[in-house]
Amino acid sequence: MPIRLWHEQNKTPFPPDPNRGLGDPKLMATTGASDVVVHLDGVAIGYDKNKPLAEIPSLKIKNGEILAIAGPSGIGKSTLVKTIAGLVRPLAGDIEVCGVMAPRRPVRGQLGYIPQRLGLIRHASVFHNVLIGSRAKFCGPLDFFASKQAKEWAKKAIEQMGLEHKTWEPIRRLSGGEQRRVATARTLAQRPKLILADEFLSELDEETMSKVANSVVEYSQQEGAAVVLIEHDISRARSIADRLVVMDDGRLNPFLSETKTLEVKL
Amino acid sequence: MTRMIRVNPGLVLFSCFFLAIYLMIGSVEDWGRLSNGLGNLRIFFFESLWPPDWSIFEPRLYPDCQAPGGLSITCSTAWIGMTETLKIAFISTVFGMVISLPLSLLAANNISTPGLSVATRFLLASLRSLPSIIWAIFFVILIGFGPISGIFAMTVYTVGYLGKLQYEAIEGMSSLPLEAAEAAGLGRIEKTINIVIPESANDLISQAIFMFEYNVRHGSVIGIVGAGGIGYYIDLYLGFLVYDKVIAYLILVFIVVLVIDSISVYIRSFFTDDRPTKKPTWQSVFLPTWK
Repeated sequence: MPIRLWHEQNKTPFPPDPNRGLGDPKLMATTGASDVVVHLDGVAIGYDKNKPLAEIPSLKIKNGEILAIAGPSGIGKSTLVKTIAGLVRPLAGDIEVCGVMAPRRPVRGQLGYIPQRLGLIRHASVFHNVLIGSRAKFCGPLDFFASKQAKEWAKKAIEQMGLEHKTWEPIRRLSGGEQRRVATARTLAQRPKLILADEFLSELDEETMSKVANSVVEYSQQEGAAVVLIEHDISRARSIADRLVVMDDGRLNPFLSETKTLEVKL
Repeated sequence: MTRMIRVNPGLVLFSCFFLAIYLMIGSVEDWGRLSNGLGNLRIFFFESLWPPDWSIFEPRLYPDCQAPGGLSITCSTAWIGMTETLKIAFISTVFGMVISLPLSLLAANNISTPGLSVATRFLLASLRSLPSIIWAIFFVILIGFGPISGIFAMTVYTVGYLGKLQYEAIEGMSSLPLEAAEAAGLGRIEKTINIVIPESANDLISQAIFMFEYNVRHGSVIGIVGAGGIGYYIDLYLGFLVYDKVIAYLILVFIVVLVIDSISVYIRSFFTDDRPTKKPTWQSVFLPTWK
C-alpha cells in the first residue's frame, strides 16, 4: 500500500502554539494563487513506478510559510523534498514551484536546498562554499568571476552564522555543527524564494540550533520566503513551523492536534 | 524480478588460482629449461653484468665538455640521458594533464551527457589501449628519432591513462554538492568550475604526480625505440653487448625512480590525507622505520 501524505484535507488548521513564537500566524491566513510557492497536485513520488513511496493528493505552500514534514525514517520525506527541488522526477501528477511547472525549473537562484548530508565542498573554504549560493542569485551562468554583490551577500551570510573567523578554513577542518551552519549560510546567501532544508538542525547544540533556526525564520519573515523543512523532532518542528504535515502509512492524522499520538508513534 | 546470486569469494579466489596453474602447465613446453635458468643468470650476472661500468658518469669524448671541472658530470651520457628522460616525463605529464582534464570532465557521467560521456570514454580507451612504447614507435616513424617523439608518445598515453583516473575521481565525488547547486539553478559549466574541480582537485593533483612518476619509469623504456632519453643509451650498449654499462644505466634508473617515488609519496600525502597536522617527515619517507 502506498504511503500517503496527510495534509490540508483537515479543514481545521492546527492551533498556533503560544510557545512557537517564531512563525508568523498571519502568513497562514494569506491566500490566493500568487501566494503559492509550491503546489503539488496528485503527485506520486519515488524511484519505481510500480512502488511509489508516497502519494500527495494536494499540497500548497505559501509565501512566508514554514512547513515542517515529519515521519518515520525511509518513508520518503527526503525524496519529497528532492522532488520539489526538481532533482527527482515525480512518478505522476503536477508540480508547480515558484510559478514554474515541472519538469521546467524555477528561475535561477529562487530555490535553496540544504541536503541532509549538507553537500559542501570539503576541500574548499567556507567562503567558496557560501559563494556558490550567492553566485546562483547574483551572477550570470557565464560569469567566471563572482560579482561584488555575490561576495558581499556571502560575507553577510557567513557573519549571520557566526563563522567569520572561519571564513577561509576548508570545510573538512570544521566540526559537524559548523558545517551545518555553512550549508545554511550558503542557502541564505542565495536569497531564495523557497528554502528546502532536510534535517538542517540536527547535530547542533541548543544555542547554535536556536541561532540557525532564528536566522532562517527571520529570513522567511523578512523576505516572505517559504521554507520546507524535514524535522524528526516534533516539538522542535512545532516551535519553528507554521504547519506540520506527517508522512505515514495512512493511519495517522498528521496535524498538531494529534501530536501526542504522533509522538508515541514516531 | 532480479535474483540475488550468492558467491563465496574464497571459492572464487581458489578457482582463479587453480585455473592459473592449469593454464600455466598448458603453456610450458619444456620444464627442463627452468632448471637451466638459474645457472644462466649466474653466468650472465658475474661474467657480463657485474661490476657495473661507472664510466657512464664521465664526460663524453665528443663534443668537448665546456662545463667547469666539478660539473663535468653534466657532460656524461648518464646525466644527459637521465635529464632528457625527466624532461620528457615532465613535459608529457603537463601536456597530458592539460588535455586530459577537459576530456575527463566530458567523460564523467555525473556532469556530462550520456552520449558525450560514451564517446569520450571510447577516445580515452583507444589512447590507453596501446602502451607508450608502441606510441613511441608510431611517432618515431611519423616524425623521426629524438625526444620530441618521446614527448608525443608519452603525452598521448598520459591523456588516455590520466583521463581515466580523472573521470573516475570525478565520478567518485559526492553528488550532494552538485544536487544543491542544481537545485539553485547553476549551469553545467559553473558546476564544473566551482564544484567539481575544487572537490576533486586533491585527487587530480595526486594523480598527476603519480603520472609523472609513471612517465619517468616508462620514459626510460621508450628511448629503446629511438624516442630519446636514457633508453637510447641502454639500447645502444645492449646492441654492442656492453652489459656492464647497461647495468650501470639500469642502476641509475632504479635510484632515480626510487627517489622520485619517495618524493611523490611525500607530496601526494599533502593532497590525500585529510588530517592536516599529521604529515610524513622526509626521514619517514626514506627510512620507514625512522621514529
